[in-house]
Amino acid sequence: MIDRLTAALARSRADYTEIRVERTWSTAVTFRGRRLDSATASEDQGGFVRALHAGGGWGVASFTSLDRLPAMVARAGDLSRAVPVEPPIRLADVSPHQADALLDLDGDVRGVPIAEKKRLLEAYNGVMLAVSDRIVDTLALYRDEVREYWYVNSQGTILHELRPEITLSGTAVARRDGTIEKGLESIGLRRGWNSVQDKAAGFREVAERAVELLDAPMVKGGTYPVVLDPELAGVFIHEAFGHLSEADFVYENPQAREMMTLGRRFGRPVLTVGDNGAAPGLRGTLPFDDEGTPTQDTTLIKDGILVGRLHSRETAAAMGERPTGNARATSFRHAPIVRMTNTYIAGVPGGGSFEDLIGDVRLGVYACGAFGGQTMLENFSFTAAYGRMIRDGRVAELVKDVVLAGNLFQTLDRIDHIAADFRWNQMGGGCGKAGQYPLPVTEGAPHVRIEEALVGGEVGGVGEA
Amino acid sequence: MIAPLVELAQRRVDGGADALWRRFERTTVAFEWGRLKSAATTEEAGANLRVRHRGRVGVAGTTAVGGSDVGAQHAAPLLERALASAELGEALELGFPGPPSTSFPTVGTFFDRAANASLDDLIGIGRALLARLEREGCRVNVAIERETTATRVANTAGAGGEYGGTACGVSADVWRIAGDDVLVVSDALEGADLPSDEALAALVASINARLDHALRLVVPPEGALPVVFTPAGLSALMLPVTQALSGKAVLQGISPLGAKVGAQVFDARLSLADDPLRVGRTASRPLDDECVPSRTVCLVERGVVQRFIYDLETAARAKTESTGHGTRGIFGKPVPGYTNIVMNETGAVTNVVGAQHAAPLQLGGGLLGDIPDGLLVDELIGVGQGNVIGGAFSHPVALAYRIERGEITGRVKDAAVAGNAYELWKQVAGFGNDARWTGSRWAPSVRFDGVSVARR
Repeated sequence: MIDRLTAALARSRADYTEIRVERTWSTAVTFRGRRLDSATASEDQGGFVRALHAGGGWGVASFTSLDRLPAMVARAGDLSRAVPVEPPIRLADVSPHQADALLDLDGDVRGVPIAEKKRLLEAYNGVMLAVSDRIVDTLALYRDEVREYWYVNSQGTILHELRPEITLSGTAVARRDGTIEKGLESIGLRRGWNSVQDKAAGFREVAERAVELLDAPMVKGGTYPVVLDPELAGVFIHEAFGHLSEADFVYENPQAREMMTLGRRFGRPVLTVGDNGAAPGLRGTLPFDDEGTPTQDTTLIKDGILVGRLHSRETAAAMGERPTGNARATSFRHAPIVRMTNTYIAGVPGGGSFEDLIGDVRLGVYACGAFGGQTMLENFSFTAAYGRMIRDGRVAELVKDVVLAGNLFQTLDRIDHIAADFRWNQMGGGCGKAGQYPLPVTEGAPHVRIEEALVGGEVGGVGEA
Repeated sequence: MIAPLVELAQRRVDGGADALWRRFERTTVAFEWGRLKSAATTEEAGANLRVRHRGRVGVAGTTAVGGSDVGAQHAAPLLERALASAELGEALELGFPGPPSTSFPTVGTFFDRAANASLDDLIGIGRALLARLEREGCRVNVAIERETTATRVANTAGAGGEYGGTACGVSADVWRIAGDDVLVVSDALEGADLPSDEALAALVASINARLDHALRLVVPPEGALPVVFTPAGLSALMLPVTQALSGKAVLQGISPLGAKVGAQVFDARLSLADDPLRVGRTASRPLDDECVPSRTVCLVERGVVQRFIYDLETAARAKTESTGHGTRGIFGKPVPGYTNIVMNETGAVTNVVGAQHAAPLQLGGGLLGDIPDGLLVDELIGVGQGNVIGGAFSHPVALAYRIERGEITGRVKDAAVAGNAYELWKQVAGFGNDARWTGSRWAPSVRFDGVSVARR
């Protein structure tokens, strides 16, 4: 394959050309309630070419028929010439790499019969259904893949990788009369079959919580001190801050650039945030990004001050900074764009435990887990899986419908206490941007306290209880 | 053709099979922050095969196919994987429909003008749009996308069809960042033909009107208030209803409308239909992805629930007929999916090619006049998150305006709206005169009274 790609590259007349080819074997199993919804095996393959002529824009071609490779290399070159760009696109230097990176498959899923995958999922699904007769429905998903990946560019980089991925999720739906509540368990790893055994406890726990939520009151809307658990804190930092640190948002927008000026204070000295594409064993981890740049640990906020951002080769060149290995594409169907990898809020050594965070909170909300999150630039909204009231320094009753909404700048500035109990959240799902979804990413954080945040409930308005 | 694939399957399986083959070519031109940045082309083909063997159903998909057909060398491994999938599948009395008694309906899905547009034509549309949207202190992104598709569907019961389609999408967003205030106003057109000049003018007018009103920031109101949702802002109220009207949700027992066929559950002025026969819409098609002829399906008539949408499998499980809503991609199995959702309208009016937007429209659709204090909501954050089908929602606003004494007085930030979609639809305070397509939904602005508005 490499010979085929380098031969096609040699015929390109563009000043810069890159080719990616991927072949992906995947299986997916779905249970709904007690019923197997589907068990399928798929094969997806295709290629991607991106070319740049001096003075031209990006010419891009993607295709599923590999016979078309030479024609598509020529087509990408033509497209680049057809779109003159002023000032010209430049790429920051990255030294060429040749690597054969076969990641640890940890039990190659391609060797496991689909019937066995069905049995595993059926067991986890059964654990949820067995919790209570209030569990009226479940949705359990298993998906695995192994992607063989080839990348070459005209500057001498040649990569060959084997990338495993495995995700499992379970949604338990509890119902009593008109009240419906959900619990969600999600596991996502850049590993193989061995890594998803013995995971029943998590599925049981979310089903039990869904049943408990049937009796839980809705949180009373208003402003509270809020403690985020590591899962929600991770989702928060990814959604609310991480996307703003992607340089394609700022590099050609002077106003955005000003808003994200390095050196600006974003939080109190307790806050340190980064993105680490090289952290071992995580879902967002890869040796190189999809432009052949090695991944790295990039600090974004240090001691409350903005110190870095995430780059592709193009955005790095435009801003006079260094590429960070964050140009990623979900598949051969897409061009690499600036994306996060494994994004984190650093634990604070000496920051203490969860108990230390709530000790002096008279009335607050402990928001846990994430059903989803969305950001519109400086505004965000997150739906926690569940919450618990904090009363007089202790965790009190379970509450539901905890929606956190706010303004990023205000909220970051109100983070006043970060614990030492950092952990990575190895969840499934993925990040979406510019039509590219799902991109495997991981988030990590310790418990984080926001001294004041808006918690939405059914009835809006003033919030003292 | 996919006939050889279906024939191959027929020789091996005892309960029938159906298949879909689809090929598309897409050309995209992107202007980033005001300048032409890239041109891209995509060619993709793939096949999806479903079999029923020993009473069990299995599915497999692949993009390892030829550019013009499935090809014998690709058909055999695809069939093997479908059979392996069927070995695990649950037993299901899935029948495949025979050929229609008459022919499949005809619907205009392919437009030469769109198919033949050159790269320069597409760049020209983008440049013209950019020139009209440029304004001091703002940055503009524009993307133009043109797609041609070929779809073939066939089954072992002798039914089959093929059709070509075109699609053209134009989207623009205008950004204004002032200090820490980020304002984004966007709009998009989507149709089977190239957009008309009128449609492009309406897109520009729609963005400009919303931008002009947004420049001034005002304090949000608070309390149980009249709230007008624009056609785009209406998503939060439509999503629970469309999810609940899917036969799949009904079958799972999670649809609040599951037992309500024939019951008056909504305001008597609300009607909803799904219409795959609209000329010029990208979701339109003569037959669905399971060889079932397309037809317009009335979902809600004057507030009364009429029926749910089904594909073959959910229909078989629910002991009813498919409504022609089988939707399948290359991977995975068919699922019930909507085509064009149409609110409060019977057909003829919008069957005009290019009527993406009606003429430049008054923001608020004429519903603001007698509102002393309220909100106009154009975009919310977090729609689709959480327990959507339950109906309860609570979303911060992404783009919303305060209404005072019948006039828009400015943009509000840091506000959230909350309510229950099913409760709100019981009594609608008014439908606007500004119906338009938002993606594949045709709806006007809608006013509800007593919506909870919170601020911080």
